Amino acid sequence: MAKNLSGDLQVASANRLADGVVVWLDDAGQWTTRLDRAAIARDSRTAEILLLRGLAEAFTVIDPFLVAVTEDDDGTIEPLSLREKIRASGLTFDAIAADAVRYA
Amino acid sequence: MPDTHFYRYDDYDRSLVSERVDQFRDQVRRRLAGELTEEQFKPLRLHNGLYLQLHAYMLRIAIPYGTLSSRQLRKLADISRKYDRGYGHFTTRQNLQLNWIKLEDAPDALAALAEVDMHALQTSGNCIRNVTADHFAGAAVDEIEDPRIWAEIVRQWSTLHPEFTFLPRKFKIAITGSPNDRAAVRVHDIGLRLWRNAEGEVGFEVIVGGGLGRTPMIGKTLREFLPKNELLAYLEATLRVYNRYGRRDNLYKARIKILVHEVGVEKMRADVEAEYAETRDGLLGLDNETIEAIARQFAPPELPPRPERVSAVEALKLVDRDFALWLKSNVAPHRVKGYAIVTASLKPAGAPPGDASAVQMEGMADIAEAFSQAELRVSHEQNLILPHVAVEDLPTVYVALGRLGFAEANVGKITDIIACPGLDYCALANARSIPVAQQISNHFASLARQHDIGDLKIKISGCINACGHHHVGHIGILGVDKNGVELYQISLGGDVDFGKTALGTILGPAVTADKVVDAVDSLVGTYLDTRAAGERFVDTFRRIGAEPFKDRMYAAL
Repeated sequence: MAKNLSGDLQVASANRLADGVVVWLDDAGQWTTRLDRAAIARDSRTAEILLLRGLAEAFTVIDPFLVAVTEDDDGTIEPLSLREKIRASGLTFDAIAADAVRYA
Repeated sequence: MPDTHFYRYDDYDRSLVSERVDQFRDQVRRRLAGELTEEQFKPLRLHNGLYLQLHAYMLRIAIPYGTLSSRQLRKLADISRKYDRGYGHFTTRQNLQLNWIKLEDAPDALAALAEVDMHALQTSGNCIRNVTADHFAGAAVDEIEDPRIWAEIVRQWSTLHPEFTFLPRKFKIAITGSPNDRAAVRVHDIGLRLWRNAEGEVGFEVIVGGGLGRTPMIGKTLREFLPKNELLAYLEATLRVYNRYGRRDNLYKARIKILVHEVGVEKMRADVEAEYAETRDGLLGLDNETIEAIARQFAPPELPPRPERVSAVEALKLVDRDFALWLKSNVAPHRVKGYAIVTASLKPAGAPPGDASAVQMEGMADIAEAFSQAELRVSHEQNLILPHVAVEDLPTVYVALGRLGFAEANVGKITDIIACPGLDYCALANARSIPVAQQISNHFASLARQHDIGDLKIKISGCINACGHHHVGHIGILGVDKNGVELYQISLGGDVDFGKTALGTILGPAVTADKVVDAVDSLVGTYLDTRAAGERFVDTFRRIGAEPFKDRMYAAL
């Protein structure tokens, strides 16, 4: 799975078992599809605990791991690595629309 | 209308595939119920072609030797719409990948595939993968024999082969039946080339130890001429030697190319021949009856006589420049006069290479039924082929393809780019491929300019695993990650043409994503300024070497 970059702030992420969708662990110990609801670990000890918590809640997800993030003044968090940015926000181009003949 | 002019499943095939679907359905149920851990389940799902990528599961569907009936393509469209997001990605191994499959839907998707004699077995894991073949097979004017007959024989032998289910590493076989290699046989674990010897007999040149990836190598000839009926016994001996001596201690040194490189082809040959001496008279000898029974299923369609020269086609050529260019680049001669092979370009300007929506797949199925004996092929260059189109029908087919966006006259040109899914989808990738391909495609969109530039193959991989075949691109582009930044390493002079197979030369330091188009533009400029009459890009590179390209490119960035 994805590499961890070293960073002060980290969130726990995984892919949902049923459909592979990217999820993050929130403060209540639930897996959410919203990065803005992810629990943030602000030091390495908390990050360790966050990951252990994720592993304990891994019944419905696959292989939880930590993701280094940044947080701006508004509290918006964003992964540091491009890979995790893409996991968080999706494809960086427009995929072919399901029922469209796009180029006609 | 006949369903196919290629192999149809028999009861054995059907029950095998159906049993696997049932097994997988139960495995998925047990995983979702928590009865299996991911560690236990992962190899089971991979054996059924189900990967976990960045955003979702991905189902890799085998398209044996790249041959599809319209019925099968229609079913793929249906599956993509019902269980995915309504599109799929045709790959460099003639497979189809669906990128958004839900685990709970995967067994139903596989059951739907089985309805049309398809599956996703051996599209993952350290086994013999889907056998690929020339995408013009059965129609090519230069063909000695249809390679799909042998690809099917290999498929039957290798499917769930108990001895070769856990090889040191994955194993890819490609077969060509023509002297003009369109199957890239020298860059496969085993490449098989049908040829006719001085006595007039047709047999195989067996090439071993080719491959791309981290350590690219060009395959070496293991056997100059192998009688056809000895094929399976000889393959068995080769795989057995690999299985015995291939390295299992290091993932990066586990492919057969490393074994051949380390022991040398002479030692490899001696070992294989020794093993073969023990096994050649066993059960794997192919009798003529068996071969003919398979060959009958690949009997060419009966093509009614059609005019070879059609005034309407000639007239349209004169008034429609794009049509004239399309005839030049996308239409190839057929073995039967009055017919042609049409390549539908899945690379319209700015599109993700190799992607097709469900509507486009259904449109291709419609066209195949109306104009190509209900047959299609997938090329390793990520296009779709209509193998049997009457010359008379070319204008109509051109218009029909145009409605789907697949009539771009760019086959073999600079925008006919091979690209892997890259970091947008792939868990192994280091950098994006598709957006880079799109930028290049948009920059060179002018068909007149593309045809002026001539044949030029750009191949892009998002990591060293080289699914985009960058090592053998005339211009190869490899995405790398340096301290979290995507950079692109550019190489020149790669080629897969038989007799000219070559690995590209890396030009120098990698460039940033925003400089890739400028870099390619500069390389093209050097070529245009220095080419001799009739020279393709790669020919000019061979003549003048890397330096002029390199100097101008880095000066321009």
